Amino acid sequence: MSLVINMPALILERLPLPSLQTYISFSVVMLGLASFYAHQTVNTILNFNPDNQIQEELGLPQELVNITLPYDRDEHFLNMVYIMRVETWCIWTLVNSCYCLLILFGKLIQNVVFGELRVIEKQHLKDKFWNFIFYKFIFIFGVMNVQSMEEVVLWLAWFSGLGFLHLLTQLCKDRFEYLSFSPATPRYAHVKLLSLLLVILLTSGVVLVGCFWVGINISLTIFAFLAAESLLLILKCLYVVVRYIIQLWDMSLEGVWESRAMYVYYTELIFELVSLSVDFSHHLHMLLYGNIFLSMASLVICMQLRFLFYEFQRRVKKHKNYLKVVKEMESKFSMATQEDLEQNSDDCAICWEKMESARKLPCGHLFHNSCLRSWLEQDSSCPTCRTRLSETTERDGRNPGAPGVPNMAEGIVAPVNPATTNHFFHFDGSRYVSWLPSFSVEVTHTNLLPGQQAHATQTSQLDNMAREVQAVFPHIPQQVIMEDLRLTRSVDLTIDNILEGRITVPPLAITGSGHQRNDSHSSISGSSTTSEVSSLASDSPRVNNIPLNNLDNSLQLTEGSSERIRQSENQENSYTTTGGRFSKSATERMSMLESRKHLMLEQARRRYQEMHENQEGASSSSVDPPLIYTTSEHLRQIHSESSTLSTQEDELSRRRALLLQATQRRLERQTD
Amino acid sequence: MAGSALKRLMAEYKQLTLNPPEGIIAGPVDEENFFEWEALIMGPQDTCFEGGVFPARLTFPPDYPLGPPKMKFSCDIFHPNIYPDGRVCISILHAPGDDPMGYETSAERWSPVQSVEKILLSVVSMLAEPNDESAANVDAAKTWRDDRKGFEEIAKVTVRKSLGL
Repeated sequence: MSLVINMPALILERLPLPSLQTYISFSVVMLGLASFYAHQTVNTILNFNPDNQIQEELGLPQELVNITLPYDRDEHFLNMVYIMRVETWCIWTLVNSCYCLLILFGKLIQNVVFGELRVIEKQHLKDKFWNFIFYKFIFIFGVMNVQSMEEVVLWLAWFSGLGFLHLLTQLCKDRFEYLSFSPATPRYAHVKLLSLLLVILLTSGVVLVGCFWVGINISLTIFAFLAAESLLLILKCLYVVVRYIIQLWDMSLEGVWESRAMYVYYTELIFELVSLSVDFSHHLHMLLYGNIFLSMASLVICMQLRFLFYEFQRRVKKHKNYLKVVKEMESKFSMATQEDLEQNSDDCAICWEKMESARKLPCGHLFHNSCLRSWLEQDSSCPTCRTRLSETTERDGRNPGAPGVPNMAEGIVAPVNPATTNHFFHFDGSRYVSWLPSFSVEVTHTNLLPGQQAHATQTSQLDNMAREVQAVFPHIPQQVIMEDLRLTRSVDLTIDNILEGRITVPPLAITGSGHQRNDSHSSISGSSTTSEVSSLASDSPRVNNIPLNNLDNSLQLTEGSSERIRQSENQENSYTTTGGRFSKSATERMSMLESRKHLMLEQARRRYQEMHENQEGASSSSVDPPLIYTTSEHLRQIHSESSTLSTQEDELSRRRALLLQATQRRLERQTD
Repeated sequence: MAGSALKRLMAEYKQLTLNPPEGIIAGPVDEENFFEWEALIMGPQDTCFEGGVFPARLTFPPDYPLGPPKMKFSCDIFHPNIYPDGRVCISILHAPGDDPMGYETSAERWSPVQSVEKILLSVVSMLAEPNDESAANVDAAKTWRDDRKGFEEIAKVTVRKSLGL
């Protein structure tokens, strides 16, 4: 929820951070040294303080000479602590030891609750960490302008504790989201995570109470700063807890929980808005308090303020859109009657769950109330048939954004009006300057299924353009022109391509027809090989299986003979048996999937090798009974070779004639 | 939102396991994360990708099925509609809002009634019939258009590689 400044993080990430063990041993050694030093100093002072002459020899620092230890001789430890507090490097050593302890504590929690961290969690943690340090650094030195050592240490302690809790919350959030991705999470994982969250919540509650104490005793400003920070933490933590509870509740329910989406939505909305406003006022307070309108710190704070403001605005806008969608939906689409539900035995197409109540769209499709709403938030068409749902209001209302068209979709969706199905915009840059690109926009409204979209774009525009080109070059097959047009999207460019010989007409035409021939051949050969192999290879059932499966995989994309389709349907059963069961246990499911994958790969490999052996056999003209497949391949090769030879000669002459014609036509056009 | 997405993915997984379409296997890589799937797609017959088994990763958004998954082939595959890094570029995988190529109608885009099975079937048909209007891999589109033989040669190598031979 804060602006991520990548720069400092990037630099800091490159720092070679020591391993945990090195760091801990280093800290322990430092602490030992510091206490040894303190111990020695206390001893020295106690022993030699009365005798001023010997100090020089011992090399005792000047400032220590004047120190009088506050405690008696007996309280050696307290004296040591005192010395440590006086000496700067000792203070830092102590601070460092505290961090070391904190890190160890964090590690302990991580091991108990989270176990191994995932990469994304680590990444988030790292980002959060550096971001936090960056902003708090600015706060301490830019806003509070802390001068004395004592205060720095105090602030450091505060932010360390806070940061620690923040990071833990972040980790919980990530982990919660991850756990909700899996259907089979053990119960104790949830329990551990939830209890950690509750502990964090409790701690931050205690911290907030502490803030009140500060407010009463020290200063209200500082109270406001501290309270805002801890409030943000509490909000964040509470949000995760609430989401978690909703999630668990939902998972424990069978079937659909209709109003779940609404609960989730409103918790998200409320928490987001509240924390944004708290954060905003916190930053505003910082800006005003610091009295620093022209400094790096104020710049950063202003940036953050701007970011928060936009974020707030965006959220409110989104919510307005949401309300609009809900209102729209409730007014326009009636609930389905019991009859409708009975007639429609299908499940909700969005969530694939059974429908006990549903909304009915004008096109007759039924959906769950909540499913439909969440879809309408981002789009305004029926998910099943893509009928525009907003067109009625769009026509008579024309209010900006009045129909359930949300912000983003509006601009794109608008041009697709059923009245004018085809819009065509074409910009040919090369008309003006040679290096300008040309492009065209084509909007087509088709009811084709997405699977068949490959053909969907072959629309009338393309045909029109092709006709235009063909008027110039009547000899060139339309297919070739279409092919090029699909790329250039410009009549002129295609003509240029033809003129400059970039379109090689005859070879393309031949490969095109050769391809078709190939299809028919292999369909013949496919069936013949199966019959052949099934008759030959009765010794091993596996070999028998391979070419048959080959047929299965013809996905009826290439138009095969009905006989072939029937065959493949017959074989389908043998193939699907490898799929089959859907186990209840996750591990079994996984291993079954794994073995299915393995089997598929194995089969494919065997088939491939089989085919290659055949081909090799054919190329070396082996003594094996020649399969029809290979002979047909030979035939095809011979055929294509001869056709290329025969066409090569007249290709040249035809091309010349074409060029002549085309240039003439172009000249005519230009003079027009 | 992950709850409803999870339920739906589970249902799809079940369906794909019980009635797998020919030449397609798909399921979560690891059941600890249901939003990351692996699919094996067999190259369609009578095309230059015939015989190959191509693995791909599907990554689902938390708001699935409102948003489309991302699909990325994890093997090398030279095809006009597949980016050199393996990402698949077909309109069914594009959210209604965004339009990277600037030519699709929203009718061809993602909708929650689509499913993993439909996506994979579209990918199979894409393998069979490359759509060189919206080239994701310009080199591949060029080769496909101008040098069909060369394209088939490359495809053969791809098939061989995909089988680990």
